[in-house]
Amino acid sequence: MSKKNYTWKNPLAVWGAKGGNYEVPSIKVEDPRSVWDKNKTYQVALYKVGRFKYIYKWKNHGARLWKRLRWWPTRRTLLHIRGYYNKKSLKAQKLIVDKRPIYWVVGLFALAVAPFFFPESMQNTLLTAGAVFGIFAAINVCWTLVIGTASIFSLATYAVVGVAAFCTSWLSINLGYPWWSLPLIGMAIGFIFGGIIALPAMRLDGFYYALLTLGLNELCRVYVVTSKEFGSASGGLYGASTYINSDWPPLMQSMVSYYGAFALLIAALFLFRFIDGKRIGRLLKMAPEKREAFAEATGVNYKQARITVFLISSVALGFIGGFYAAHYRGVAFSIFSFDTLLLGLAMLTIGGIGKAEGAIVGTLIVVLLDKVLITLGPVRHIMIGLLMLFVVLFLNKGLFGMKQQFRAWRDKKKGEWRSTRTEKGGEALPEEATEIDDKDYLYHRRFDKMQRDYLKNLVCDELMDEHKNKPLGQHSEALERLLLYFRRVPQNDKYAIKRDENSNTFKIVAFSGVRGMSPRLVEDKEYKTIEDAYHGVFVRRVYDLLES
Amino acid sequence: MDIGFILINATIVACIYGLIAVAVSITWSSLGLLNLSYGFIFSFAGYGAYLAARMLSDHPIVVLTAGILVGALGGIIICMLVFIPLHDKPNFTIRGMIGTLAISLIGSQCLLWYFGPKNKALPEVFGYWKVSIGNTVLTSDKIGIIVCSILMLVFVVLWMKSSRRGLEIRAMMMNPHAASIVGIGIRKTGFYVMAITGGMAGLSAVLLSQTYYIAPFSGLTPLIKGVSIALCGGLGSVQGAVIAAIILGITEALTSRLLGGQYVLITQFLVIITILIIRPRGIAGLLDKAREQ
Repeated sequence: MSKKNYTWKNPLAVWGAKGGNYEVPSIKVEDPRSVWDKNKTYQVALYKVGRFKYIYKWKNHGARLWKRLRWWPTRRTLLHIRGYYNKKSLKAQKLIVDKRPIYWVVGLFALAVAPFFFPESMQNTLLTAGAVFGIFAAINVCWTLVIGTASIFSLATYAVVGVAAFCTSWLSINLGYPWWSLPLIGMAIGFIFGGIIALPAMRLDGFYYALLTLGLNELCRVYVVTSKEFGSASGGLYGASTYINSDWPPLMQSMVSYYGAFALLIAALFLFRFIDGKRIGRLLKMAPEKREAFAEATGVNYKQARITVFLISSVALGFIGGFYAAHYRGVAFSIFSFDTLLLGLAMLTIGGIGKAEGAIVGTLIVVLLDKVLITLGPVRHIMIGLLMLFVVLFLNKGLFGMKQQFRAWRDKKKGEWRSTRTEKGGEALPEEATEIDDKDYLYHRRFDKMQRDYLKNLVCDELMDEHKNKPLGQHSEALERLLLYFRRVPQNDKYAIKRDENSNTFKIVAFSGVRGMSPRLVEDKEYKTIEDAYHGVFVRRVYDLLES
Repeated sequence: MDIGFILINATIVACIYGLIAVAVSITWSSLGLLNLSYGFIFSFAGYGAYLAARMLSDHPIVVLTAGILVGALGGIIICMLVFIPLHDKPNFTIRGMIGTLAISLIGSQCLLWYFGPKNKALPEVFGYWKVSIGNTVLTSDKIGIIVCSILMLVFVVLWMKSSRRGLEIRAMMMNPHAASIVGIGIRKTGFYVMAITGGMAGLSAVLLSQTYYIAPFSGLTPLIKGVSIALCGGLGSVQGAVIAAIILGITEALTSRLLGGQYVLITQFLVIITILIIRPRGIAGLLDKAREQ
């Protein structure tokens, strides 16, 4: 809002001030509040910040806060639910802190009923792939126990499964063991083989062990391929006893194999839950890699715990090996091949190492690509490899670490954007302002800056002429505002007029501001009359104002 | 047979696998990258040499040079795809290893797709002559393999000892952080290291294919033997790798002579496990700490 060539009404005129006119014509004067408004607004675009608080949550009631579904007969709850009050609406609400159990139930239920929804044309392929998925997911869950929980980077998982499968197949073919005994014998074989490969694990750590087990895997492959007893001629060992009766109709055989593998997966998940989530898993979570010394100092025998987990999962892998032999009526060399190992590692990596859900989803993706798109040939392995490379390059912890990684990235970006939005508010920089104790001073500096910005706008030739013609007395609003500001400046370096007694001329001096120190002479120019000197001081002050 | 024959075979095995072992060792100690894609580089360089022999000429120098250059190219590809994007990310060691395995999966399948599963043979680079020392007969390819790999090793060791780039690589081996502070670029050094180690793997591919064939997955055995030797010798130590190569070469030759070919890997791994249980960081590795990035 600006006023142009209007008549200024002098509020002091009613008291009859000397020379005070009631009304004076005035030049254009801007509203003093405009500077304040301009300073208050941000110069850059504004974005909404903060989190949305109005997402709908379940209603709660204070009296129902402790009413929960619990696992009978314990006090353990089915879901981790927190009751809280919405910050905006103050309504009682419920928040499911950990939704993973729900996802598990839904996902496993979907897997359980999936065979009834497979399309007719692909039913056989999908059921076979489903059985492969079940077995490999079970293996990968046990592998996750080894790599994730026990932090032993073993690549010999498929070797344990393969050794158990080959030995049980051989026993079943040559000595006629029934199918139900194979997993049990497999457990014993897994325990022995796991014990052997656990020996170096006690001394080696990290990548030394990974490389060694990589070699062990190859050792098993070469040994089996070259040995006559294990069917070097036929590419594998076939003819073991099986739980799938060949007299059944083909669809029923496929269904039984699917649900057999599914049951194996459920069993592996239970094992994972009771190792990783219970005492031994907690102990090992105390001792992640590179922090073993701390765990040891607090009394955690992490080496024993690691070897225990390793042996337990070896037993489980041996069980899976026996099941594998009973499932496929034998076993092929491919279980030991480098490609199987790579695909297994791809399954773990894609889902995220160390999480059971990661192992299962990774297995699902890789098995779908590998077994269902089988017509594509080598391209499907290239696709799997590319997916694995993508995950390794861009995701820190596989697919299931994406949420966390995205949130960390979003928070980083938020901080960056916020820092671009901040601007200099007043005279004092933020760093400077924190060092000044008198915050009143900071506000004064800020206000002073705005006032000077405003006053600079008022200076014009008409104003200078007005002052020259009449340094004292009634002025227009603009000049009055300027003079009031000039009169209020602090004493140090304030201009004053000194009269020379002899020549009766006037000179401009400036106060030192310090008691006992005389004023300094500002310029040599002499003014003939006091009015000229007044105007000289005024010009200096205006000049200083425009300079600041 | 006689001790001379066993020694010659041991030396040849040691030479070829020793090249890959030294490559693995140098990459690990200077870059902190556990490169398991030397199997792919091996096949890649083998196919490169095969193409060069067919398209350009089957002159020995051309074939050997093509093998080394294509191997170096493979190393640079891996450096660009895995090392450069990953080296400053969290969990670099494990992700780098998985990344190189992914490259190896993709690369081998691409080779299979393009060239088919049929084996390819390289021309006889070293001719058909033979030399008898006492009652040991040395054929031309054996002498060629030994001479070439020793020349390559000596060249690499001298280059690392005397050149500016070698100094940079050795500085990275000692302390990567301090090296980057004094102005040795990690990425630039990564390219040198991967190129030179890739070249070593390429040379070993050409040398080994004097006895075997080139196939998409033929690099697996050399990789695993090379990695085992590097492990046994102590990751990061060239001398250790050479000693381990000799020990494992002797084991292999003795086993195949006394017990039979199928027990070679078993005895080798028994030896490796024994050595590693006694010295968990390998023969020449430092005991206290592994390299930490």
